[in-house]
Amino acid sequence: MTLDELRATAAARHDTCTQIKKMIVSRLDLPIEPAWITDDQPLFGRGLELDSLDVLELYVAIEAEFGVALYDSDMSVFGSVSRLADHVNPALAEQAPTGSA
Amino acid sequence: MESLTSPVKAAHPEGTAYGTVLDAEVALRFSTLDAEYEAIRERAALLDLSGERIIELSGGDAVDFAQKVLARDVEYLTAERCMTSLVLAEDGTVVDQVVVWGREDGLLLESSAGAGTRLLEHLRAHAEDGVEITDRTEEYALFGLEGPYAWGVVGRLIDGELAALPFESVVDSQWDGVDILFARTGVTGEYGYKVLVPRESAERLWTKALEHAVPAGQEAVELAMLEVRQPVVRHEAGEGVDVLEMGAGWLVDITKDEFLGRDAVVAAFEGTAERRTVGFSGGTEVPAPGTPVTVGGEKIGEVVHAVHSIGLKSALGLLRLPPDLAAAGLRITVGDTEVVTLTSPYVTPKSWSTPII
Repeated sequence: MTLDELRATAAARHDTCTQIKKMIVSRLDLPIEPAWITDDQPLFGRGLELDSLDVLELYVAIEAEFGVALYDSDMSVFGSVSRLADHVNPALAEQAPTGSA
Repeated sequence: MESLTSPVKAAHPEGTAYGTVLDAEVALRFSTLDAEYEAIRERAALLDLSGERIIELSGGDAVDFAQKVLARDVEYLTAERCMTSLVLAEDGTVVDQVVVWGREDGLLLESSAGAGTRLLEHLRAHAEDGVEITDRTEEYALFGLEGPYAWGVVGRLIDGELAALPFESVVDSQWDGVDILFARTGVTGEYGYKVLVPRESAERLWTKALEHAVPAGQEAVELAMLEVRQPVVRHEAGEGVDVLEMGAGWLVDITKDEFLGRDAVVAAFEGTAERRTVGFSGGTEVPAPGTPVTVGGEKIGEVVHAVHSIGLKSALGLLRLPPDLAAAGLRITVGDTEVVTLTSPYVTPKSWSTPII
């Protein structure tokens, strides 16, 4: 990939991550700026410290915002903003391998 | 101040490999890295956390002092809760990452491995009337349990009721007639627990716990931490690196009015970062810190820290790149090796799909 191609790929992911951060802050009424959340930040437990009620709210918000139903997904979907971006924008997931244990 | 040594060293398995981490001697490996990693990711691992200092803040102004020195808000941290926070210097650089244990009459700060002396000196340098800063490390031993079945060990060893406590809960409990402090924590993404036990009972508890869990050393723990993007400060913080570049913005709370280093953190949040951190994997050679990251021969960044990931079966590490290139899914060159940048977590913990029963 050339530098310009890399920048375009990164920008596509950043755009989706920014959209997700705004959605999280707005839907959960968090007292922070969306930009303060980092792409790799864990969302549950440590990190953003969301709980199971927040998950339910996010399921609804994600379907409304991205048209993607994640109700039956496992919790790894919420491993980070960037991981969530792979699920709401599958074109991103094709570029970034996800880990497994 | 003397270097820390494990109070249960005599009960460590024969052949344990030791190393020095800052001010502490720690067990790097009790057996093999593969076996210890497998225990963390597939079963239950026992950790000897004796390289971490336990520092008590007490006195009428202990909470106010903690509010000043901790980057996260602990004003309402009760005796039943704990949390992780960064401790920053005035210029915003990281002094340490600590676990803060709420207590009725103050707080306990648990340093990261080997960083306790530096932390203690920092706290004392900013001490005020109304707060006592006491190093309690010599009075206790701290052990951890990590793994998708660590909850089962808690049940067999202490009390099954404790296994399903909410994350970051703290409970005063007993083990075999001894008062202990128990917490649900975790740094590897797996189920995690910690036990603070009086030193005179430490060897007995360690030996009993070995009947149920495989001991895992610092190397396996730090690998598992990296795989879920849990910061290891001594690998990731460096001179001139702010918390945003480190990717640890979630360990500070800039909605808090005041804390040491806040001005620098706010400036970082409001400014234009020159670098951001992103994970990568690829190749079998582990690149050294500082190894250049290139695209078409042009240097765009460098390696922060890397190891061999058993979970990914390749090199795994962190890169610092310009913000517009710090994203998952990029194919770039590290040294002479083609790698790809990753989405966190890099390895999905088995605990995320393993219920506590």
